[in-house]
Amino acid sequence: MNSWRLVFAATVLTGCSASIDAPSGSGAAAGTGKQGSGATGSGATGSGATGSGATGSGATGSGATGSGATGSGATGSGGTSSTAGTGTSATCTPGVPTTSQIPRLTNAEYDRTIRDLLGVTALTAAAGSTPSNLLATDQAGGLTDVGWAAYKTVGEDIAEQVMADATLKTKFITCDPAVGTCLHDTAVSFGRKAFRRPLTTDEVAAFDAVIAAGPDITPTGAPAEVAEALLYNFLVSPSFLQREELQDSSDGAGHFSLSSYEVASRLSYTLWGSTPDDALNQAADSQQLGTPDQILIQAQRMVADPRARDMTQAFHRYYMLMGLNTRWDNTNKDPNLYPAFKPSLVPAMQQETEMFFDDIVFAKKGTFNDLLTSTTAFVSAATAPLYGLDPSKFGAGLTETTLDANHPGFLTRLGFLNAYSGYSGTSPILRGAFITKQVLGIGIGNPPPGAEQTPLPAASDTLDTNRKRFAQLTSGSDCVGCHSVFINPPGFALEAFNTVGSWQTMESDTKAPIDTSANIALDETGTNTVPVSGPAELMAAIAMAPGAKAQYASKWVSFAYEREGDPGDACTVQQLATKMTTGGYTVLNLMTDLTQTLSFRVRAAAQ
Amino acid sequence: MDRKGNLAMNRRFFLRGVGGLTLAAPFLSSLNEAKGQTMAAPKRLVIFYTHNGCLTDKWFPKVENGPLTAADLTGTLAPLAPYASKLLLPRGFRSMNAYAQGQTIDPHDQACGSKLTCAPIGTDSNRYATAESLDHTVAKQINPNKNTPLVLSVGAASTRVKEVISFSGPNIAFPANVNPQTVFNALTLGSGATPTPTTPGPTMPAAVDYHVKRGQSTIDLVRGDLTRLQKLKMSSTDKGYLQNWLDLLRDTEVGVGGMTGGGGTGMTAMPAACTSDTATALGITAAALTAASPTGKITGGTTSFGAPPPPGNNEGDNNLATSFTKGGDMMMNLLALNMICDANRVFVFLYPGYVVYNWDGMAFTHDHHGLSHRTGDNSVGGACGVTGVLDQINQIDQWLAGKFAKLVGLLDGIQEGGGTLLDNTATMWLSELSDGAAHNINNLPILIAGGAGGYLKQGAAVNVESTKDISNGNSTSSCQNGGQIGNTGSTGGNVPINKLYVTLMNAVGCTDNGAKVTKFGVMDGTNATAGISNPGEVTTLTAGG
Repeated sequence: MNSWRLVFAATVLTGCSASIDAPSGSGAAAGTGKQGSGATGSGATGSGATGSGATGSGATGSGATGSGATGSGATGSGGTSSTAGTGTSATCTPGVPTTSQIPRLTNAEYDRTIRDLLGVTALTAAAGSTPSNLLATDQAGGLTDVGWAAYKTVGEDIAEQVMADATLKTKFITCDPAVGTCLHDTAVSFGRKAFRRPLTTDEVAAFDAVIAAGPDITPTGAPAEVAEALLYNFLVSPSFLQREELQDSSDGAGHFSLSSYEVASRLSYTLWGSTPDDALNQAADSQQLGTPDQILIQAQRMVADPRARDMTQAFHRYYMLMGLNTRWDNTNKDPNLYPAFKPSLVPAMQQETEMFFDDIVFAKKGTFNDLLTSTTAFVSAATAPLYGLDPSKFGAGLTETTLDANHPGFLTRLGFLNAYSGYSGTSPILRGAFITKQVLGIGIGNPPPGAEQTPLPAASDTLDTNRKRFAQLTSGSDCVGCHSVFINPPGFALEAFNTVGSWQTMESDTKAPIDTSANIALDETGTNTVPVSGPAELMAAIAMAPGAKAQYASKWVSFAYEREGDPGDACTVQQLATKMTTGGYTVLNLMTDLTQTLSFRVRAAAQ
Repeated sequence: MDRKGNLAMNRRFFLRGVGGLTLAAPFLSSLNEAKGQTMAAPKRLVIFYTHNGCLTDKWFPKVENGPLTAADLTGTLAPLAPYASKLLLPRGFRSMNAYAQGQTIDPHDQACGSKLTCAPIGTDSNRYATAESLDHTVAKQINPNKNTPLVLSVGAASTRVKEVISFSGPNIAFPANVNPQTVFNALTLGSGATPTPTTPGPTMPAAVDYHVKRGQSTIDLVRGDLTRLQKLKMSSTDKGYLQNWLDLLRDTEVGVGGMTGGGGTGMTAMPAACTSDTATALGITAAALTAASPTGKITGGTTSFGAPPPPGNNEGDNNLATSFTKGGDMMMNLLALNMICDANRVFVFLYPGYVVYNWDGMAFTHDHHGLSHRTGDNSVGGACGVTGVLDQINQIDQWLAGKFAKLVGLLDGIQEGGGTLLDNTATMWLSELSDGAAHNINNLPILIAGGAGGYLKQGAAVNVESTKDISNGNSTSSCQNGGQIGNTGSTGGNVPINKLYVTLMNAVGCTDNGAKVTKFGVMDGTNATAGISNPGEVTTLTAGG
């Protein structure tokens, strides 16, 4: 399952049909509220005793990795469960989910790996295309004829390009291929980097055989041609194209230990989506990746590297359901009603949200709370009017500025407000459902049949606001349960922003004043609510909600571990969410803690 | 050929060059006879898939049961009129997992995921199908070397279930390839740094020699790597993936042996017409491939509403237009070339639905999906939101019909044995939905061209449901001039599509351990756990029925 990262479908959540007062048993965010506070000392609760081992976050828990309990076959869970949600129930069973030992690089990983290994980002043989543009589309099943042929073609193109460029060539070979054992030495030294581990004796012999066959497998047998053939053969080798985890030694607790090379690879592909750098290779070579502390040192170094920003951007696209052919991409507004909106602004709106996340996480070293409350924004002359700002103060590009207190966090930026809205008016349902499901992690179900076909009642003397019309629309017995308690309230609070994301205090047509007060349900019980007066208080409430933290942590775990909502990761999610309640726990802390779990250091037995 | 404009000296194309065979367009009278031997033409399956339904009452001809003639094809299907005698119009099939009948997750995700699998979709965020799809089932039986099917699309590469209908196994998406150059490269050995002559000549044998040896050395190396891995303790799934790769090596090797040994094995012998000249005759040249294969990002066409994008102004939208027009047409040529080379016998080709049509005279402001809802966006029901929406949908429907006709015409223009590629193939246009606003999947618009070697009835419409007067639907009943969106769907047409798939499987030579296939999929009703309750093919769709 290495292709799911590219998928931006909404999370399916269960629960909340007509009966909203169902017990919280169904998992999801419910439990976190209870334990969020007290449980901080991880091991406190009964269940936690084992849990500490599983995640062992930070140096503290590590030693406890406490063996036993973890082995309890938690791996059995296997596939994706239908329970989705955040999976943080009051008790969790620590586990090490079964993972493939030979996942192929995704196309994005292939591009970054080639970039970091050889310095190639655009193929001169293919009009400057990225290498992966010529690969087969990502798919998690077996390699296909098209996929295999594509690896070979692209491998040849890359090898040719590298050898033809004096600068790039040094990334592969630093000696004269005609002299002495240069080619053999290159196979050994480059092989170490390409395979992310030292070559075995047999492998060295196999590449020596390629070198020896040089005259036969190249046009003239010239040493440079042989070097190119050698590079080509590395680039089509399974040990390059697959992130292999092959070490076959028990950790004494029912799992297999990873080699230091395999840990290095996990680190680099988790935090960078790319191949290990020299420092990481060095740490692996000197066996400095065996303990959580040693791993943490590398992880902290790595999140300070620009490469971590790629993955963080990709994560927030996943968290926000951004991407091609999503609401973010398909945003359009009625030009007669909203002349300030231009479809050409849509990419800038998405970009602003991405810059916001990047800025809070990296430049400001912010927390989850900051993501929801910071008034930092990135505005251009074209988007300024939508924020009610003077365009003359801004240039063509997006530049950092600070908005007023009515604009806290990513959910009050133009991107989300426009994407989760209608063509000619706001949609409190779209905005509210996103916040409820995707941000608060509350498992509401899908609309009942026909719900979406029900037309919005027209404005009238009694239905003089959008809010009243939507309340009327969702007042039926099949709808009101989820809508009145969960979906509509956050959407109503955001009625302060019109469909193009501009601040409004009255309806543009009826001039009726807009009511943005609402009772926000913070968890699946529907009874744990907090009253808010508008967007600022709504964001503050979300920032404080344990369910929102658990959801953010859960999404990170799913993204980083490349498995969604796996029950075996439930304790990890729980503990990260708990840590997020402590002050000053930054997103970067969370990212590095993802490398501190037992399931990061070991793999489950093959089944 | 490589991206530098050279024709690559590859196994398949070059092979024929060595033999000195000169091929002139139009094609050989018989692809197989040219090999000096007569063998039965292979049977093939092509699934041409389009999204968001159509205006059913413009799409369906008036004839419901009986002979289908050119005169009947006057609406959306007018471009197909020249091929009326080779068309089969099955009326009355319903595909599986209608929203709120099977699952209640998302009408599009269910329609796509269940379309070729007749199985529910997963409830995680991928929402992939929980079973293998028809194209894979068929490919395992009829493809040379059991190759996976060739799945092609245009636009941006996507792994979302909204753009995926092919599944190689439960929850394993088999997304389409969208780059024509990549698809072409799979028919070559790659060219790399090698300067290679563009026409057969005395220098070729040496070039072949080292290329073949390089290929073999790579095979040896990779096989060594994979064999070592195979000996390790690993899950059966992982081991299966290793075996897939090893099988691909063997296929390549068999081809290589065929070149040097003369003839190869029967399984992978390349038909004589599989040459670079054939590629050229099909319009597959280096320049055309480059022109049809955007190198930059492809967007959904949403950033340039209202007017055709000025050249160079929005690269992503320009690339989308290029991919849908030149790219799609090139994919058809590549599909034909794959048939000629017998590299694959099972094909899926789809045009994604979440894009703004802004080419070939269309300059729309809303994406196809939004138009199909009549609202212009993701919302369902309510007021008709786009002026002239029916006309715009109709233009898209006609454009897609034109593309299907183009594919049919292409395949019918290439001789094979006593007939054409089309005759030996079942080429089916399958639609995600019937009507896009109703999201209904009963009474599906389906059109099959070619009889799969005489198995299927030709030149006929067949109502497979016992009730007469099947509805053509009510797609144009609302939004003629604004107003509210009414019920645009239809009733009736509820024969499970599994029976059509079974018919097609039998048509292209699949068997159930030697006997006729009677079942496909895991469900054929609204209950996913009830299994198949209505097995068997539909004999009235067969030539003898």
